[in-house]
Amino acid sequence: MPTAEDIKQRIEAAIPGAHAEVEDYTGGGDHFRATVTAEAFAGRSRIEQHRLVYEVFGGEIGGAIHALALKTQTAAQTQTPSEPGASHAQQPVR
Amino acid sequence: MPSSQFDEIPMLRAEPEPAPAAAGEPNPIRDAIAAAIEEHRVILFMKGTPEAPACGFSARTVAALQSLDVAFAAVDILPDPRIRQELSAISNWPTIPQLFVGGELLGGCDIVTEMYESGELAQALL
Repeated sequence: MPTAEDIKQRIEAAIPGAHAEVEDYTGGGDHFRATVTAEAFAGRSRIEQHRLVYEVFGGEIGGAIHALALKTQTAAQTQTPSEPGASHAQQPVR
Repeated sequence: MPSSQFDEIPMLRAEPEPAPAAAGEPNPIRDAIAAAIEEHRVILFMKGTPEAPACGFSARTVAALQSLDVAFAAVDILPDPRIRQELSAISNWPTIPQLFVGGELLGGCDIVTEMYESGELAQALL
């Protein structure tokens, strides 16, 4: 079972200059929520940004890692008013 | 919202076959998925159905679409594991749900939710 720290370190090791905040939101080692900030995301679509992170884990996504909720941004985008990593994944849509 | 709004795609519930199709061999499931993506402007591949989502991420994505009152086709990937396998091969995207608009992958739950909250989803679905 990976820990949130494992997930963080693997993302930061694989994507140059990345900073990741990872939460194991069920405590079960298989459902994670990550906010990843990296200059490597600049000029890429959201789809491409998320793919970069998913590619770190390959077949583990959907396997050992049941869920990896993502928010990706460049450093310049961290000034947005919403709280990183929280609002996007928890706020229910009505 | 009437359930008839969600088109059933019976081709994706094909009879099980013994092994995954190798490259170059006929692959009816992949062909059916590709055809469905082409034929439906807005199509959601999800766990469960819009009426009975089987996963919180699928439920949240359905809720975003429904709150925008947009018609969409929905495909339940759970009946046959090969649907997910072939879908991910086509889309290069590992997780479910997956929302396609105009033949292109728009995103999974996180991106769709982000776009919903920013208003971009309504724009993309116009």
